[in-house]
Amino acid sequence: MMTPIFEKALLIAAIGMTGIFLFMAVFYLLILLLDRLMPYREEKPDEENIVEFETEEDEEEK
Amino acid sequence: MNTLISLTDNLRTFWSYTGFYNAEPGHLVMILIGLVFIYLAITKEYEPLLLIPIGFGILVGNIPFNEAANLQVGIYEEGSVLNILYQGVVQGWYPPLIFLGIGAMTDFSALIANPKLILIGAAAQFGIFGAYIIALQLGFAPNEAGAIGIIGGADGPTAIFTTSKLAPHLLGAVAISAYSYMALVPVIQPPFMRLLTTQKERVIKMKTPRVVSQTEKILFPIMGMLLTTFLVPSGLPLLGMLFFGNLLKESGVTRRLAETARGPLIDTITILLGFTVGASTQATTFLRVESVKVFAIGALSFVIATCTGILFVKFLNLFLSNEKKINPLIGNSGVSAVPDSARISQTIGLEYDPANYLLMHAMGPNVAGVIGSAVAAGILLGFLY
Repeated sequence: MMTPIFEKALLIAAIGMTGIFLFMAVFYLLILLLDRLMPYREEKPDEENIVEFETEEDEEEK
Repeated sequence: MNTLISLTDNLRTFWSYTGFYNAEPGHLVMILIGLVFIYLAITKEYEPLLLIPIGFGILVGNIPFNEAANLQVGIYEEGSVLNILYQGVVQGWYPPLIFLGIGAMTDFSALIANPKLILIGAAAQFGIFGAYIIALQLGFAPNEAGAIGIIGGADGPTAIFTTSKLAPHLLGAVAISAYSYMALVPVIQPPFMRLLTTQKERVIKMKTPRVVSQTEKILFPIMGMLLTTFLVPSGLPLLGMLFFGNLLKESGVTRRLAETARGPLIDTITILLGFTVGASTQATTFLRVESVKVFAIGALSFVIATCTGILFVKFLNLFLSNEKKINPLIGNSGVSAVPDSARISQTIGLEYDPANYLLMHAMGPNVAGVIGSAVAAGILLGFLY
């Protein structure tokens, strides 16, 4: 038999779990949004800044 | 002759002040429990960073003394050193500081890379509400049931924070129960993981998660905190500090602060928290039938959380294509015992396929569980405080 306290407990549990799932769903959408707005781009080395060093082997070849 | 009588009286008075004179069977039982905690921590390495301070705290809290003498040594005696240290638990300011440290050591990449895993962290919170209903059925008042239910979140600081607000008289039992079961996660979870999964499911290989950009990592705690503030304001002390700590870590410009938060600060607070929680379990307040009930419901809540996490993954898999399927062995990680439950997913997964590394995937629901249990705590506080 359902007592009023048990009914209230079920209600709190139902609201609580729904609340958590809703919260996490919003989080999920937030992450998707972040991914859409700021996708990962592989950092490529800036070719202008590459300085070529001559190694001892290069000098020997010369 | 007078001197002899005086000496005898003094010795008798001295004897009445000793622990031997004031000891009761309850003290000895609690001292034995403290020794078991220390034994488990040292020999089995079950959460030694927590069980050693708690175990030793239990010993300290159960040294019998003459309470009428007003020695100002007991944890419940106002103004005593232990009582002052215990205020961090009673007033609830140790748990947010622990969360600051947890935030500074947590990498949310696994979650950001595969956001559907966050839902597993939500499903595992059934443990909290299941235990809440069971506690009510066993005769606990609604606020006490809420405090007991939070054990199912497998998150010590959240359990302490919630209980300090809802049912301070149950603090010792709830905290000891939460930390004990967190330490026993490697024993509790595996049987249910095997029971609820098939051989085929246990060898599901998940796709390697995508790389997460630094900008995403920086924006995540800021937006996460704002979301928390607006949706569940009562969870702010815990989640606000969690995301603050994470921003210290990810911003890249506050390395010193992040290192302090995840190192000396969290260590100091863990020592104080563990020790005072242990010391608060005095035999007179702890050894009651209701403590036994709290322990029993706590165990059930861990089982419910583990099972619902796994079953929810199986449910999700019904809607996912073969290449996107989730290995149900990471479902147990929805309980927020970080990183122990994720490690268990990895260990059990490797038993069935030595080339299937689940740890990086399991960390997603694991950190989601931390967020989920803090949200659940906020919801319970909102309804019951």
